Amino acid sequence: MKILSKNGNELLLLAMKEDSVAKGDYMLIEDRNRSMIVQVYDEEYLSSQALTEDIVREEVVNASSVENLHDPLNIGSLSRLVRDARIFRSKIRASINNGKLSSDVTWLPSRVESKIRRLTMKELDSFIGRRGVFPIPLGMTGDGGEFEIYAEDLDGKLTIITGKKESGKSHLSKILAKTLVQHGAFVVIFDLNNEYSGLGWNRDGTPSSIHRQVKILEPGKSLRFSLSYCGRGAISGMLKNALDMPAASLREFFRIWDWHENKKTLSIDAMANAVNTWNINELVRDALISRFHVIQSSRLFAEAGFQFEDVISTGSGGAAIVINMGEVSPTVRRMLVELVLSKVVDLLERKTIPPIFLFAEEAHLYIRDTYWEDIITRMRHFGIYTTFITNQPDAISDGIYRQVDNIFLFNFTNDGDLDKISRVSLADNDTIRSIVRTLPQRHCLAIGKAVCDLPVVVGVTAAEMLTLGETKKFFKK
Amino acid sequence: MATQLNLPFTSALSLGDLGIIDSVGKCLPATLEELKGKKIVFSCDDKKMVPVDGWSLRSNPHVGTTVTTIRAIKENALVAAVDSSSIKIAETEEGSLYGIKCGIAIAYAGLALMHFKIGPVLFYLCENTIQDSELEERLARLVLIDDDYAKRLIRVRAERAVQKELASHFTNSIILVDGSLKASVFEDRHRSIGKIAESCVLRKNMMIGISKGTRLKVLDRAATPLTKVPGPAYIEVDTIVKSLIRNTVGSNSMVKLEKSSPVLRADIVGDRSESLGMLLGNDPVAGGYPETLRLAHCISTFTGTEMTCLRSHVLNSYDVVELAADDIRSILLGSISV
Repeated sequence: MKILSKNGNELLLLAMKEDSVAKGDYMLIEDRNRSMIVQVYDEEYLSSQALTEDIVREEVVNASSVENLHDPLNIGSLSRLVRDARIFRSKIRASINNGKLSSDVTWLPSRVESKIRRLTMKELDSFIGRRGVFPIPLGMTGDGGEFEIYAEDLDGKLTIITGKKESGKSHLSKILAKTLVQHGAFVVIFDLNNEYSGLGWNRDGTPSSIHRQVKILEPGKSLRFSLSYCGRGAISGMLKNALDMPAASLREFFRIWDWHENKKTLSIDAMANAVNTWNINELVRDALISRFHVIQSSRLFAEAGFQFEDVISTGSGGAAIVINMGEVSPTVRRMLVELVLSKVVDLLERKTIPPIFLFAEEAHLYIRDTYWEDIITRMRHFGIYTTFITNQPDAISDGIYRQVDNIFLFNFTNDGDLDKISRVSLADNDTIRSIVRTLPQRHCLAIGKAVCDLPVVVGVTAAEMLTLGETKKFFKK
Repeated sequence: MATQLNLPFTSALSLGDLGIIDSVGKCLPATLEELKGKKIVFSCDDKKMVPVDGWSLRSNPHVGTTVTTIRAIKENALVAAVDSSSIKIAETEEGSLYGIKCGIAIAYAGLALMHFKIGPVLFYLCENTIQDSELEERLARLVLIDDDYAKRLIRVRAERAVQKELASHFTNSIILVDGSLKASVFEDRHRSIGKIAESCVLRKNMMIGISKGTRLKVLDRAATPLTKVPGPAYIEVDTIVKSLIRNTVGSNSMVKLEKSSPVLRADIVGDRSESLGMLLGNDPVAGGYPETLRLAHCISTFTGTEMTCLRSHVLNSYDVVELAADDIRSILLGSISV
C-alpha cells in the first residue's frame, strides 16, 4: 500500500486487490520516528480514462470472438492487477510523535518511504489511552478484536442511538442497559413497544443475570402513584403539559388540593368529590371535571402506589425499571412521562436516590418539546443521564445534537436522514455518509467520548437476552 | 553599413534591414495565384484526409480506367487477418528495448470465429543481437541509431513469421495483411513476402494486403471513378504502382468494399475478382473495412496499462537500475505543449 495523494485532511492510499481493508478500519502510516493515524472511509477502483478504455475494448473484443492468448511474459496478469487496484479514501485522525498521540497533523508522510499497515483496535486503544473500570462489551471491530466501551463514558453524558428500522438500535440499547445494571447502575426505560421486559430472561428461557433487578411496571396495574407521593409539582406539570389545563382552572384545582392537604384527606376520591361540589365557576368546573375523567380513566393514581426509592437506593446493586407504555394511550403516555420525570427530578434534588440512566425510545412521541432542553441541560446536573433511541434523526433538534456526547449510528440509506446526521454529528460529513450508508445490520459507527472522538465501526454482538417487541406478522415462516 | 557584422544593437533593427524577408520570400516560388478556384481539403495533424465524394474527374489523368464490380462469393473459406504493433520501452547505453504485439483475427462464413493475441514480447536490440539478424551492415547500424527503423524491423519480422505460418498451414483461405504487399529490407530471407506469396500459391491461399491510406496521391486520383459506383468495386492500378514502386508482390488495385465507403489500396496474390469476392463472402465488412483486420488491429495495439505492466516486468525481472529521466522537449520548450 502506498500514499497516492493528499487533499485537505484526506489521504488517498493505493492498494492492490489482496490488501483487505474495510471501511472504518484504522491504518498506521509510519515514516521514520513519526506515524500518522488515518481512517479508511471509502473504497473505489483506481480509475483512469486509459484503464476504462482498456476494459471496454477487451470486453467488446471478447464478446465478438473467442480469445486465444499467448502471453510469454505474463503481462496479462500484471494488467489484471492494475485493473483491480483500488484507492482507499481515508481521513487523517491523529499523529504519533515519539510514541505519544498528537493532534499535530500538519506534516506529510513520505510517499516513497512510508510503511502503511492496519491498526488493530488494541493498538489504537493503547495510543489513545482509552480505559475504564466498568467495561461494556459491545461486539467486534473489523480486525476481529473485541470492542468495549466503559460505563464511565455514558455516566453524566447524553447519548443518541439512531439508525433505520431493524438496523439493531434496540439491540444495542438493551446491551447498554443490561450491562449498566450489572455494574450496579439504575436504569429507567420508557419502553414504547414492551420489548425491554426480556432483559430479565435469557434466550433459552432461563432467568438472566439481572433477572431479580428488572422491575417491569405496567401503567394502571403495577405502576400507580398516590397523589401525596407525586406532590404538587409533578401533578401541576402533568395537568399543564399533558392535559393542557388552563391557568385559571389550575389555580382552582390547587385550592382544592391545598384544602385537602391541610386536612390530610388528599386522595383521588376526595379530589373528585370536591371538584363536583366546590363552589367555583361552572366553566372552570367543567374543565376540572373533564381532566379528572382522564386522570381517573388512566388508573395511574391510587391510595398507595409505587415509590421509586423502594427500587432505587444506593447499595441495592442496580436495577432496571422498565415502564411499559406499549398499551397505553398517547395522553396517558404523556401524563406518565411528566409524572415520572418530575418525581425523579424531585428525588434527585433531595438526594433521595442516586443518579439514574434514562433510556427513551422514540422520545419525540411522548416528551413535550420544551422538556428536551430540560433533559439535556438541567436534568444532567440533577443526575439523569439520557440515551435517546430513534429511527427519525430529524425528530431530535439541532440543539440536542450539539450537546450530545456519544452517537451510535446504525445503517441509514435515506439521503435526508444521512444529511441530517452528517450535518450535526461529531464526525466529518464524508465519513458519516460513506460508512453509515453501507453498514450491515447490527453494525454501528460509534462516535464521541466513548471512543475518544475516533469513530469506530463495531459489529454489535448477539445479545443473550430474550428478544421481545418483534413485529407481529400475518404470514409466519 | 547595414550589411556589416558586429553591428551595435539598436532598437531600430528590423528583419528588413537583415534581408531575411526577401530571402524567405524568394526561397521557392509561392504561386498562390494557382490556388484560385481550386477544390480544397484541409489537412489535420498529418492525418490522411480524403474528400467524401472523391476528387473531380477533371483532375484525373486516368479517366477511362475500367471499374469492375465485386460480387460476394458465398463459398465458405477462412479469413485470417494479421496485424502488429511495436513500441520502444526503454533505452540503455548499449541498445534499446522494444515490445511487440501481434493479433490474428479469424472469420469464417461471414462470422468472426476467434482471435489470437500474441505478446507482448520483448526484444533488446544492441550490437550483439543485431549481428544475428542477417541485416546488411549499414542497415544494422541504422537500426541501432534510429528507433523508427528498429520498430519497423521488429514488426516486419514478426508479421512475416505469422504470415508464413498461416500461408503454410491453411489451404483455400484468405490471408489479410495490414498494408501493401511490398518486400522490405528488414525481411528474413526465409520469410520474405515473396516466399509467403509462393506458399500461398502452392496451398491455393489468397493473400490481400489492404492499406488504409497510400502516400501515392496519384492512386487517390485514379480511384475517383470508384466514388461514383453504388456498390463494391475495384480499379486495377498495376501500371501506376509498378512504375513507382519496386518489389511489390501480386496485383495492385484500388477497391471499395461497401457502398459509400472509403477507397483502399489492395495488393492481391491470387485472382483479383475471386479473392475480393471470397473476402466479401466470408468476412463481415463494416464501414468499408474488413472486420477481421479491424479486430487484429485492435488486439495488437499497446494499451497504457500494458506499458505500465511492461515497465514493471522489466524492473522486476532483469535486475536493471532505473535512472531518473527528463523529457528533453519539455525542458527546452517549457511547459506549454508544442
